[in-house]
Amino acid sequence: MLEKLFEPTSVAVIGASRTKGKVGRAVLDNLIESYKGEIIPINPKADEILGLRCYPTILDAPNAAELAVVVLPAAMVPDALEKCGLADVSNVVVISAGFKESGIEGAKLERRCADIVRKYGMRMVGPNCLGIIDTGSGLNASFAASMAKKGNIAMMSQSGAICTATLDWADARGVGFSKFISLGNKADLSENDFLLEMADDDSTSVIAAYLEGVKDGPKFMEIAREVSHKKPIVVVKSGRTAVGSRAVSSHTGTLAGSDEAYNAAFAQSGVMRADSVEQMLDYIRAFSSQPVPDGKNIAIVTNAGGLGILTADACHYAGLSLSSFDESTIDRLREMLSPAANFYNPVDVLGDAHSDIYGYALETILDDPNVDGIIVLTSPQAMTDVKSIAEVVAEKAVASRKPILCSFVGGTRIEEGEDILDQNHIPNFAFPERAVSSMAALCNYGVIRKRVHLEPENINADKESVSSILKKARSEKRHTLGLESFDILKAYGIPTVGTSNVKTLQEAIDASEEMGYPVVMKVLSSDISHKTDVGGVRIGLKDRDDVERAYHTMMSDVRRYIPNAVISGVQIQKMVTGGKEVIIGMNRDVQFGPLLMFGLGGTYVEVLKDVSFSVAPIGKDISRKMLSSIKTYPILTGVRGESPSDINSIVDTLCKVSQLVMDFSEILEFEINPLMVLPEGQGCVAMDIRLTLGSE
Amino acid sequence: MASILISSSEKYSGKSSLCTGIGIILQNKGYSVGYMKPIGNMLVDVNGVLSDEDAEQMRRVFDLKDDRNHITPILLTDNLAEDALAGVEKHFDKTLADAFSEVSKDKDVVLIEGTGGIGGGAMYGLSDPQVSSILGTKMLLVTRYDSVYAVDRILCDIELIHDPDMLAGIILNEVDESQMTYVCELVVPFLKDKGIKVVGVLPKDSTLRSVPISEIVEDLHAEVLAGSEHLEELVEHYLVGAMEVNSAIKYFRRNPGSVVITGGDRADIQMAAIEARVKCLVLTGNLQPSGAVLGSADEAGIPVVLVRGDTMSTIGRMEGLIGHARFRKEHKLDRMVELIENNVDVDGLLSIIGL
Repeated sequence: MLEKLFEPTSVAVIGASRTKGKVGRAVLDNLIESYKGEIIPINPKADEILGLRCYPTILDAPNAAELAVVVLPAAMVPDALEKCGLADVSNVVVISAGFKESGIEGAKLERRCADIVRKYGMRMVGPNCLGIIDTGSGLNASFAASMAKKGNIAMMSQSGAICTATLDWADARGVGFSKFISLGNKADLSENDFLLEMADDDSTSVIAAYLEGVKDGPKFMEIAREVSHKKPIVVVKSGRTAVGSRAVSSHTGTLAGSDEAYNAAFAQSGVMRADSVEQMLDYIRAFSSQPVPDGKNIAIVTNAGGLGILTADACHYAGLSLSSFDESTIDRLREMLSPAANFYNPVDVLGDAHSDIYGYALETILDDPNVDGIIVLTSPQAMTDVKSIAEVVAEKAVASRKPILCSFVGGTRIEEGEDILDQNHIPNFAFPERAVSSMAALCNYGVIRKRVHLEPENINADKESVSSILKKARSEKRHTLGLESFDILKAYGIPTVGTSNVKTLQEAIDASEEMGYPVVMKVLSSDISHKTDVGGVRIGLKDRDDVERAYHTMMSDVRRYIPNAVISGVQIQKMVTGGKEVIIGMNRDVQFGPLLMFGLGGTYVEVLKDVSFSVAPIGKDISRKMLSSIKTYPILTGVRGESPSDINSIVDTLCKVSQLVMDFSEILEFEINPLMVLPEGQGCVAMDIRLTLGSE
Repeated sequence: MASILISSSEKYSGKSSLCTGIGIILQNKGYSVGYMKPIGNMLVDVNGVLSDEDAEQMRRVFDLKDDRNHITPILLTDNLAEDALAGVEKHFDKTLADAFSEVSKDKDVVLIEGTGGIGGGAMYGLSDPQVSSILGTKMLLVTRYDSVYAVDRILCDIELIHDPDMLAGIILNEVDESQMTYVCELVVPFLKDKGIKVVGVLPKDSTLRSVPISEIVEDLHAEVLAGSEHLEELVEHYLVGAMEVNSAIKYFRRNPGSVVITGGDRADIQMAAIEARVKCLVLTGNLQPSGAVLGSADEAGIPVVLVRGDTMSTIGRMEGLIGHARFRKEHKLDRMVELIENNVDVDGLLSIIGL
């Protein structure tokens, strides 16, 4: 779809300049350096630049350009784009700054540009970007300091500075790229378009991105879910903390979005999140050169015990297992290695090991079916010939279908070895932990690409009754709904505790008598969001007298805490005992939509933060994962002889809530707290709900 | 010539609104209406002359030509307080009576607005009941009905009026919709049993509590940075954005129609407010926000205004603006008149004061 963007037959540079140091000159220089197609400089003040015939406007050029790179002052860009449209240009890269990032006038200009581009059916990269590079076609339509080396990594970045830094780093390490895209303000083309494009690009085998936000979260998830089956996607998403997200908002005029939502969305769509640019570069080096393993069983080969132990620890923390070797492997190792060596995993070939010993050990271990990948460690000891060890490792790695990552630890003494590894595209990491983390990324991708996405089952629900409850609340200008809206749950088949909403003490007594004791009494008031905090909940009421006293003291307490609260009555609930309290919640995330939350309930839930998140819609598979991923999950499966809770009923409820919040986008927040889960086979019941409605 | 003094249990109970509304209704009925606020407590400088803010408002609404010092003969200045405490005799009753007779000329009815609460001015011998007896006028008592405790307040206030004949009636103001039945079926009959006539029960009304953004801009001397074409939108609440961004978004969403006050350097909170589509952003501390945020606000059509003051002082100003139905805008006057016509026994009231 975007071939003409990356492989155009001709490129116009609007705002081309002959003055050294100007962006218009740098772009032209870069194009001339490696691009083989026709280059058309546009500048009304010149007839010729760097030997190329120059035209006043793109409409004056005899041949149409397929791609136009715009390096004009922002105010002149809309006019230039109009002319591109008239000249039948397919794609534009707007490098110019001074758009949305700069203020209101800039934002207006940006909207105008987007409108013009849409009007003519063109596509636009930027504005406010570094440009794009395609090493296949030799196109360097950017003002980067140098052209990228050819490789199989496609990289996009919302920061131009990270683009240039990465290019320079890659140059030093010999890492190459297929495509390089500076996303800029993403007024038209965004990460979603480029993900799709790179999925089908034969020259790309791994996709990397630095993002400060995504443009359309649900679409991103849908695309990434598809693309991640074909190619690994590694993303650094910044703005994770309060201070970081403030910087994102200030920089881009967008919300950074909640980090939980990004984690959930990435995990669900198969995107691997790197915690830093360094980690992203580590991962893409591994992906660009090494095969993806079938499992997570790792062997470690080392000439130093300490490094081996560190690596073993790191493997454990990264969720990798150390392979248990076949007996034959151990026997073969025993044959050649010094008797003092360690033949089990981590394999210690000892400090005096020569390259042939390394080679033998690697070959032997690679043959073992219990090994999915190898981490090779080397410490430069007096007898260590780092260079020839590197050569042997390279030789074995190139021939292997299992991934091999290295950590030659040291400084000047390992440089020679490192160079050899770089030349052979074997990633070497300064310290073992980074090698382990990269190996874990390879292994995780092995799981991701085989993953099957199950569409959530459709749940029969009485949407109409929910619709009318919400409509009524809105007409009364109520934005927070509580207990009085239990029927919403009933409409979705979520079991609720037996309740009765009453207005007077007498009614409360009658309802309790009819329901049977013990009962719980809760205040009904749209002015009160935390009932417990104001004395609005009384539990374990055993008889008529209890109900009467509870009613009077509750009214007195509530009025004392919130004198102006309008109390519409109380709710009498059947007291449920013998269950465990869990919470199911939803908060509509600005980027990804409904973010479901699950956690164990109780007083300390806000402190412990032992909760899991997923982006709706979810089916039973993800729902089950949400449950099992909280730390306190064993409490639900039963500890110390307790009977297990009815986990299936929680899974069901989560799926139902998922559908409810998908069906009603006006529900901005939702919470069942608590959901009382009874022992296995006895189900669960919602005890209380709270939801926030949007204004339109 | 008829007259009535409109008094209230506490300040901000709705005296000015009722005065204006009743005055307009009377004018519409063909009466010539006079107005007096005997004791000015909200001083403003009008071209070198000290006056009272409410009085100025009424001069405009009723197009009054009377002298300012007849409409508001006594201004509560610091000097006045010191003199009163020192026991300096000022003969206020004469000043009052003279001004009243000036204002009454050629008028069918004079509306007299009390000062603050019913007991305000007592240290000068000028509480509402005292003024009422000096001028020989009846009183209409307005009380904001926030809870059943308002009944206590009413009974207490009435104790201050020694002569029961002086009370024309009371109006229960800003009654929550959900309390309406309770008030009409229990509170009103109870008061009637005590010999107190309730001439009106006015429901809470969001239009009256709201202010247009332009008024906030004017009052805070704010600079409009974005969204200048949306300044006539009305806001009903203000929120303070001082929390973590994810909590902020929830908080803003629960209170649509709000204006959000936050620091100019809190880009995250500003974006959360824009995302939650609040009505207006007030940025404090004279800290210019980032251009990117302004661009987004402009796109969303949300006014962003910048003030010099810090967040605390801005909150203070905002307290005085929102919820105190001042009538700078036509639509509020119309709404008030409509509310009075539908909920107050105006004819009954007129006959009590002999009109």
